[in-house]
Amino acid sequence: MKKLLLLILFFNTFLLLAQEIEIDSYVDKNKIGISDMLTFTIEISGENVPNISAPVLPEFNDFENLGTSSSSSSNYSIINGKMSSKITRNYSYTLRPVGTGNYLIPPITLEIQNKKFTTDPIHIQVVEGSTEPAPPASSNFRSRTDQSSDIADNLFLRVEISKKNVYLSEPIIVDYKLYSRDDIANLAFAGDTNFEGFWKEDVFTPESINFKQETYRDVRYNVMLMRSVALFPTQTGQLEIPSLSLNVDIREKSRNFFDFGSTRRYSIQNDPETIQVKPIPTENRPADYVNAVGSFQLTSGISETNLKVGDSFTLTIIITGNGNLKQFDVPKLPKVTNLRFLDPEISTEINKNVISGKKTIKYLIIAQEKGNYILPAITFTYFDTDKHSFKTLRTNPIDLAVREGNLPFISSSNAQSIVNEEGADIGFVITNKQIRSQKLYFNSFVYWLIWFIIFLFIPGSYLYSQERDKLKTNADYVRQKQAAKVLKKYMKQASLLVNKNEPGFYTTVQQGLGNYLADKLKEPRGSTTDKIILALTAKQVPPMLLKNVQTIFETCDQARFMPGGFSQEKIKLDFKLVNDTIKEIIKCKL
Amino acid sequence: MYKLMLTFVLLLTISSVIGENQIDDIFNQAISSYENRDFESALEKFVLIENQGVINADLYYNIGNCYFRLNSIGRSILYYKLALKVKADHLAARRNLEHALSITKDAQKLETENVFRSFWLKAFNSISLNLLAILTLVIFFVIVVLISMMIGIYRNRENAIPIFVTILFIFVFVILLIVNVVKWQEYHSKDEAVLLSPSALGYSGPGEDFTRVFTIHEGIIFNIEKEDGSWCLIKLKNGLGGWIKKDTFEVVKFR
Repeated sequence: MKKLLLLILFFNTFLLLAQEIEIDSYVDKNKIGISDMLTFTIEISGENVPNISAPVLPEFNDFENLGTSSSSSSNYSIINGKMSSKITRNYSYTLRPVGTGNYLIPPITLEIQNKKFTTDPIHIQVVEGSTEPAPPASSNFRSRTDQSSDIADNLFLRVEISKKNVYLSEPIIVDYKLYSRDDIANLAFAGDTNFEGFWKEDVFTPESINFKQETYRDVRYNVMLMRSVALFPTQTGQLEIPSLSLNVDIREKSRNFFDFGSTRRYSIQNDPETIQVKPIPTENRPADYVNAVGSFQLTSGISETNLKVGDSFTLTIIITGNGNLKQFDVPKLPKVTNLRFLDPEISTEINKNVISGKKTIKYLIIAQEKGNYILPAITFTYFDTDKHSFKTLRTNPIDLAVREGNLPFISSSNAQSIVNEEGADIGFVITNKQIRSQKLYFNSFVYWLIWFIIFLFIPGSYLYSQERDKLKTNADYVRQKQAAKVLKKYMKQASLLVNKNEPGFYTTVQQGLGNYLADKLKEPRGSTTDKIILALTAKQVPPMLLKNVQTIFETCDQARFMPGGFSQEKIKLDFKLVNDTIKEIIKCKL
Repeated sequence: MYKLMLTFVLLLTISSVIGENQIDDIFNQAISSYENRDFESALEKFVLIENQGVINADLYYNIGNCYFRLNSIGRSILYYKLALKVKADHLAARRNLEHALSITKDAQKLETENVFRSFWLKAFNSISLNLLAILTLVIFFVIVVLISMMIGIYRNRENAIPIFVTILFIFVFVILLIVNVVKWQEYHSKDEAVLLSPSALGYSGPGEDFTRVFTIHEGIIFNIEKEDGSWCLIKLKNGLGGWIKKDTFEVVKFR
């Protein structure tokens, strides 16, 4: 028994080791000239590859084996703290064709750790002459159409489509891959690609040049994923997947010691491909079909089953799977009395490959009355593209118990009925009014002007009280203030006497002017003319005016002692002089 | 030159009168639409007047009524609030606001239960900013008259009564000034908002990944405390705070 166990263990270990080994074979080109050399490589890779001697090739009739070389490389990586290693051993054979035509490198059988591996056969076309690149042309820009077939073999774009026969809205992944065996210096997209007839979601766009090795048609290439998109057909029939255009700068090999190398630009694009889009069948289409296409799973759940009136809870419906998650409508909810469903919050999370993801629909539900309720099953129908038929998913019904509650937010169950009671709820609309913008007084200039005017009362009242005090206490000041008033009175009287041609005019003028000047000059009333003149001189009154005053007083004196008086003309002239003089005196600040 | 100026002033007056007449026409049309129970058309016309830049409590009140009739409780509350912002003593708007608040999902009261605070709020809300402006001006006038009298009449007399009365009035004036400042800030504040979407979830942080704090419903009035991208930190009247999405509410402010 023990022996049997050991044997099984040994066999398993051996199997494990053998399983980890991968064999690949490829050539550097599968179209060569009769004068060219061909490199055929066998690559053995795996976690634990033993160091074996170069496999011996069988006898070829069509090729001459010129020599063998071998190389090995190790690659260590640590993922999530786990170290893994990969050893790659390459055995290259240089072969020379012996004639033209189509030949086959036959499958090579290898035995590693007692396990046999066989490589795939490789077809080789041998033509006359050489397929080595021609000398470079003078221009440093060549398009794909005029380049040599060598460039076309070594640099091209390919499109990979995940599925070529699909249903309307069924997503496909389209990968644009660049294959190259040249030294690429730079890459750039040439123009936009217009995906007509599709709803497009970008899956991948490279940020830097990143090549991986891949064997395509028995030839080893450096391959870079240039663009990956998820396309959702929006039309039926034959739809074309458009080409991607690239500008690629290739480093040229230096031809001699002084040639430091140069780059040459090539414009390439892939051949367009087509896919066939079928319509979703109308036969047996369920009524609750919401345009979902793909393959989905449905789950649902609620945040709380034990509730109080007025409480809100969330019903979450999750649809996961592959398909047009962003494009279909949400499943309809059944109506339940006394449960108020609010508009749902919908969020869609899409995985990196875009076809798969999760659509979450959250309904906020408010319990309006106490009681036991059942949230019925929710159905979701989609078109299953694998089974070519409609499929309906169902959630389980959910039981709810709503108790009486006194939460801070109390629901008002009869809200709608109150709204409909016309006139008894809100006040009537305001009519017969002129609608004018109600401006703020604080923003009005007039308002602040009134404030300022009111404020001015304070200095005004102060000045007024000062004036009043002065009038009360200072008799000279009172005389000064009232002098003009008194003079006016006298002059009015004088004016009447002039018209009547009475000699009393001179007496009035003498009294009036004398009193005015005495009051103004703070001299006692009845002062002599000389005293007044002296005081006027002290006030620096102009001499001309002084003379006029003196003349008036003298004339008045004369008139008093003149029995016949003056003629009417003389009186009028004197009145004019008096008026002019008074005007001048008023102008002087006495 | 004088004639030209006169013509200009005349033209300006005529054009403004025509503008006001047009607004009155639209207003009357809106009223008849409302009376014919065509609330949507009435609302359209009232909003047209509002878009002319008219700030009027009656207009806001009527818009609020239209929204109420159209079953949009949140917006009706928003407009009653606006009407009261323009004219705090608009009794019809206050009554309708109270009614609208009474039928929102979340229980809300305008006045608090604290007697002193309730009295203060009542007094504060019953005075509009313009009435307050006139009151302040009148008190200022009285103070100026009293000061003038003291300068003019009572300066040399030993009488404490005028001084006491003046100090009393100055005290009232200072209180009025403070109320003015508070009212002015309230008038220009953009903190208060009304929830317009049927419901909103309050989270403990600005994002749906945070813990849910509360659920509020259309028509609830709250204050905005902070903004962060498309989220706002709000404070409910009951003291509860949380982050809600910005597109669920509208701030009580003039357009």
